[in-house]
Amino acid sequence: MPNEITRRELAGLIVAPALLAQTPAATAPTPDEELKAARDQNRQNQEQLAKFPLPMAVEPATHFRA
Amino acid sequence: MASISNDIFFAGITEVNQKLKAKEFSAVELAKAFSARLETIGPTYNALALSLRDDAHRAAKDVDDDLKRERFRGPLQGIPFGAKDLLAYAKHPTTWGARPYAGQVFDYTAAVLKKLAKHGSLLIGKLAMVELAGGPGYRYAGASLTGPGLNPWDRTRWSGGSSSGSAIAVAAGLATFALGSETSGSIITPSAFCGITGLRPTYGLVSRQGAMALSWTLDKIGPLCHSAEDCGLVLEAIAGADPEDPGSAGKSFYYAPAYARDLKELHVGYAPVDFEEGVDPAAHADYAKALDTLRSLGIELTEVKLPEFPYGATISTIISSEASAIFEPLIQSGQVDQLADQKQIAGLKAGLEIPAKDYLKAMRIRGRIQEAFRDLFAITDVLVAPARPTPAPKITQPLDRPLTDRPAPANPGLTALIPAGNLAGLPALSLPCGFANGMPMAIQLVGRPFSENELLTIGKAFQERTDWHKRRPPLGEAASP
Repeated sequence: MPNEITRRELAGLIVAPALLAQTPAATAPTPDEELKAARDQNRQNQEQLAKFPLPMAVEPATHFRA
Repeated sequence: MASISNDIFFAGITEVNQKLKAKEFSAVELAKAFSARLETIGPTYNALALSLRDDAHRAAKDVDDDLKRERFRGPLQGIPFGAKDLLAYAKHPTTWGARPYAGQVFDYTAAVLKKLAKHGSLLIGKLAMVELAGGPGYRYAGASLTGPGLNPWDRTRWSGGSSSGSAIAVAAGLATFALGSETSGSIITPSAFCGITGLRPTYGLVSRQGAMALSWTLDKIGPLCHSAEDCGLVLEAIAGADPEDPGSAGKSFYYAPAYARDLKELHVGYAPVDFEEGVDPAAHADYAKALDTLRSLGIELTEVKLPEFPYGATISTIISSEASAIFEPLIQSGQVDQLADQKQIAGLKAGLEIPAKDYLKAMRIRGRIQEAFRDLFAITDVLVAPARPTPAPKITQPLDRPLTDRPAPANPGLTALIPAGNLAGLPALSLPCGFANGMPMAIQLVGRPFSENELLTIGKAFQERTDWHKRRPPLGEAASP
């Protein structure tokens, strides 16, 4: 018969909108979240640099000339 | 009044200069035509920061007087160009692409602009850029006072940055050449994405006096042009010692391709993986042809490996530390919150917290990187790699995530060549070499310090055998002022 719907399909139609209403919409990070992310990135950079061993005698390239 | 044909807007420096000397048109007519085009088409791609039509007109009259008297000043005489809006031009706004500096006016002119003025070049406008030249990093192409740079090949895609307006102006025929800058990628990237030729000079070869500083030890000013030859001509004009620039190398540059080494003597290092799994599959065929073209010049291609260093962490620490120190007044005043890009704002604030020991560690590693490249260049003369592994992204795409879903190859090849080359102060030349789904792709050549003539000789020979650098974007309805 045309336009028949099962009880399972009907349950899905009732539940789905309710589930969607509970899912938070994607939002842009807040300034505090961005700042935390930037600090985390700096910390990750520091950890990577710390893993790179250097003899004490190696000086910074502060008098930089190509 | 002579009409300026459309071909002139895309012609190289030598051709335009010869036509000027042959009186096919005057410098005034040329400046007027390019200014009109820059003012009409430039804003449609968010390329224009400030038109300098009146100043260009005055300078063009002087050029016409000189030409009448046969006072020739070289191939750049009468050539219209644009300058990235981080270069000071006295008594006119220099915005650095950033809202907090929108009304900033200096009473001095950057050294490179004064040099080009002496050559008789015509500054027709200041060109848009990513705010603060990209700072410690930004998320979106819209990180600019003027909005996202739109790619002349596809307006839904980014021009690349931070020298966005400079690349757009050359690609769209709005200026014969442009000046940009690179701290880490800001000449190479937009040149590659827009299908033009860009040269990042050796650190210290070109004076930074009068240019906004993003990173004292990484900033370089360089040309974006229609060809390698034109890059050589512009570099000769802008290079040279400058006691006003603490980073000046004290060297001049003379564009002399005839005196460069025979290409058959050159060893060029590359990583095959970069040109296979490492790039967009739609560009494989063109990249394979590019390598074959290099081989056809007699160049020997040899597989090499990049020295292993934490390039990303090193350059990120240096840029963040130096940029935040430079912009400390902006950050402490709170005006940093006026910037367009939230990630940039956060990065500048966090950069003030980086301990000195981390910055110094990065600078110590940097010295080691320089030594390692000296060792690499003992066995190879030039490195070649894709300039960017993917074509220009959509303007809405986040830039701080991978631009492709393709998994990164297990072998990283020379993918870190942009940060590595900048950390070592090395010159690089971006050459268009094909397309991926209608968007330009490019190779980059990187050489020893002060080896620009070698790179330009290879680039010139490559462009004599290919025509990628002559292709023009389909500007469509925006094409006519």
